[in-house]
Amino acid sequence: MADDTQKESQSHEAHAAPEHKPARPQESHPATDAPAAGKPPEARPPDARSHESRAHEGRPHEGRPRGEGRPGEGRGGEGRGPREGGREGGKRGRRGFYRKKKVCRFCVDRVDFIDYKKPEQLMTFIQERGKIVPRRITGTCSRHQRWLAEAIKRARNIALMPFGGAR
Amino acid sequence: MEERLYDLIFICRPATPEEDIDKIIATLEHTVAERAGKIDKTEKWGARKMAYRVKRHREGYYVLMVLRSTQGDMVHELERRLKVNDAVIKYMTVRLDEDIKRQKRLQQRRERKAARRPRGGARGHGHPAGGEQPAAAAQQQ
Repeated sequence: MADDTQKESQSHEAHAAPEHKPARPQESHPATDAPAAGKPPEARPPDARSHESRAHEGRPHEGRPRGEGRPGEGRGGEGRGPREGGREGGKRGRRGFYRKKKVCRFCVDRVDFIDYKKPEQLMTFIQERGKIVPRRITGTCSRHQRWLAEAIKRARNIALMPFGGAR
Repeated sequence: MEERLYDLIFICRPATPEEDIDKIIATLEHTVAERAGKIDKTEKWGARKMAYRVKRHREGYYVLMVLRSTQGDMVHELERRLKVNDAVIKYMTVRLDEDIKRQKRLQQRRERKAARRPRGGARGHGHPAGGEQPAAAAQQQ
């Protein structure tokens, strides 16, 4: 077990730092170490190189598959980066439908102050049991929801609005 | 201390005679005058159904007063008087000047924006909110 771990650690080190090889191969198998030592330094940089080379040279050589992929993605992304476009397109595909975007009613009407003395208006924002309807349902923006909640609470205090449904 | 604006709403028992309500209002007005406050308006909403029962009453006679004062203890004194009065079943004082200030600030900002951009100005003329706020102001007066 100890030998194995040693070998492994050595080989790992060999991968990481080829300079130490000359000292260690003597302890373990020179035959296995030599190829191991030979591979990593070659194997890794070539990979990086190959990626780069694909990026640069790949287009002329393997132009067809890449060329097909990119324009398609580009269309989806509306002229943005090809990757982003691809992602957006994917989401749309998964959802399959659009949800109608909710708009804050108070923003549309440009309301700067929600009056607690008009319970008729506020009643549309509470549920049957008197709960304040969350903004994820009504679509109210955070600022107006804050004002709305305050107004509803004031109205409740002075019995203009109910705390609960049946009282 | 700068002047503050308050809404004072109180609810009387529905069976209270009108004169008694006027008496309560008169005492409140007196208190306000004593503390160098001003009354912007007094509004009697009349008997109306309450959202829940208060002291076994389902209805109540609502009175709204809009006050200004630089002395905070005016509110204490008014509330004390309301508490003492048997005809009053509920009351509430809300400080509104900061809300009003915010409202004015937002309005001004919108107007400035509208002035800067003619396109935005055209939008601003529609002023659905502008329609609402004068209504609110009208109610308050």
